[in-house]
Amino acid sequence: MGDVSRLLADYGPAFGQALFLTWKLTVLSFVPGFLLGMAVTVLRLLPLPPLRFVLTGYVEIFRNIPSVALLIFIVFALPDLEVVIDYEPSVILTLALVCSAFTADYLRAGINTVPGGQVEAALSLGMRPMRIIASVILPQALRAVVQPMTSLLIALMLSTSLASQVPFPGRELTALVSKIATDSAAGIPAFAVAATLYVATGLLIAWAGAALEKKARILR
Amino acid sequence: MSRPLDDILFGTPSPRAQAVTQVASVTAAVLLLLLAAGIVFRFHSAGQLDARFWEFFAWPTTWSFLGRGLLGTLASAAMAAVIALALGLVLLVGRLARLRLVRWPSIVAIEFLRGTPTLLLIYVCFLVLPPAGVKLSTYWMLTLPIALSTAAVVAEVYRAGVLAVPRGQTDAARSLGLTEAQGFFLVVFPQALRYIVPALVAQLVIVVKDTTFGYVVTYGELMQNAKVLIANYHALVPVYLVVALLYCLVNYAISKASKWLGRPMH
Repeated sequence: MGDVSRLLADYGPAFGQALFLTWKLTVLSFVPGFLLGMAVTVLRLLPLPPLRFVLTGYVEIFRNIPSVALLIFIVFALPDLEVVIDYEPSVILTLALVCSAFTADYLRAGINTVPGGQVEAALSLGMRPMRIIASVILPQALRAVVQPMTSLLIALMLSTSLASQVPFPGRELTALVSKIATDSAAGIPAFAVAATLYVATGLLIAWAGAALEKKARILR
Repeated sequence: MSRPLDDILFGTPSPRAQAVTQVASVTAAVLLLLLAAGIVFRFHSAGQLDARFWEFFAWPTTWSFLGRGLLGTLASAAMAAVIALALGLVLLVGRLARLRLVRWPSIVAIEFLRGTPTLLLIYVCFLVLPPAGVKLSTYWMLTLPIALSTAAVVAEVYRAGVLAVPRGQTDAARSLGLTEAQGFFLVVFPQALRYIVPALVAQLVIVVKDTTFGYVVTYGELMQNAKVLIANYHALVPVYLVVALLYCLVNYAISKASKWLGRPMH
C-alpha cells in the first residue's frame, strides 16, 4: 500500500490526465463509429446490389482486421500514399472504423428481431420504405442492441490502449504505465492503479448499459 | 414469417420504383468504381505501383517468411486458447462455488482480467516482471497475457451456458444419486458446452487479433515478420496490405466456422 501512495504522490495528476484521455478517446471514437455503423446498416437495407456488396465487404474487413494492424497501416503506410493523418486522429479513426463495423453487424441482428408483420402493416398504411426504416424498424432495432453495444463500448474503451503504440504527446493509461515501468521500479503499483481505473470504468459503463437496457428493452 | 425484412420492405416494387432502383444501382456502381479508380490512381501517383515494391511477393522466400510468421501467430493463439479453455473452467467452478472464500476471489480475478486491456498485461510481462526477477521467453510474454484475459472471458461464456441449462437437469442428476460434482461435470457442463461452442469459436477471432501485439515483445508472429520485411524492402504499403489481408482471411474463416457451428440443428 505504501508503494501505491508514493506512486500517487509522484504521478497522481498524470494518472488523472491519462484516465481523462482514455475516456476522451473512447467517446470520440464511439460516437462517430456508432453513427457511421447506423448509416452502413441503413444503406445495406437498400435494394442496390453493388452498394450492398461493397458495404458487406467493408463490415467484414473492419470486423476481422486487428485494430493494431489497422492503426499501424494508417499511421505508417498511408503517408507513403501521401495521406498524412496526425497521431491522435489516427487512433480515433482506427477505433471508429472498427466500431462502425461491429455496430453495423449488431444492428443488423437487432433489425432481424423486428417481426415482418410490422413492416407489412406499415406498408399497407401507405408508409414509404425509408419512412418505415426510420420510424418502425430502427427504433426497435436500437432498443434490441443496448446490451451488445454496451459490450462493444467496453471493448472499445480497452482498445484505446493501442494509442500507446504511436508516439503521442499525451499519454493514456497503458502508455503511462509503460513509461513509469521504464523510468522507475514502480511498475507493479502503476499497473495496479491503471488496472483499477480500467476495471472501474468498465463497471461504470456496464452499470449504465444495464440501466438503459432495463428502460429500453422490448418484451416480446 | 421468415422472409428477411429488406425483402418485405422492397419486395414488391411498382414498375416506377423498379426503374428508380435500377438507375440508383447503376449510379452506385459507377460511383464505387470511380472511388476504386481514385484509390488506384493515388497508388500510382505516389509511386506505390512500382515493380520494386511488389516483385518480392513473387519470391518464395517472402512467402515462406510470412508463412512462418503466420505459424508463429497460430502457435501463440492455439496455446493461449487451450490455456484459456482450461483456466476458464477453473475460474467458472470458483465463480459458482458456494463457499464465499472461493467465490469472491474468483469474481475479482475474472473482473480484473476481463476489465484490463490485454496490451497492458503484455506490458506487465514485458516491462514489469523482468526487473522483478521473472524472466519469460518472448513466446510466453505474448501468450500468457492473452491466455489470462481470454480465460476470464471464457469463464463468463461458460457461466452463461451453465445458467442456460434448465435447473431440472441438476435436480434430476442429484435425485439419481450423482454427487454435486458428478452432476455438474457429467450432466450440466456438457450440455452447456453445446450452447456456447459458437461463442467460444468466435472468441478465437479475438485471440488471433491479440497476437498482433507480438511485435511489442518482438515475438516472431505475422506482424513482427512484416516489420522485418519492410525493413528489408522499404515497401510499407504493399506489405501491410498483404498482412492485413492475411489476418482478415484467417479471422473470416474462424467467424464463418463459428456461424456454421451455431446453425440451427434439427
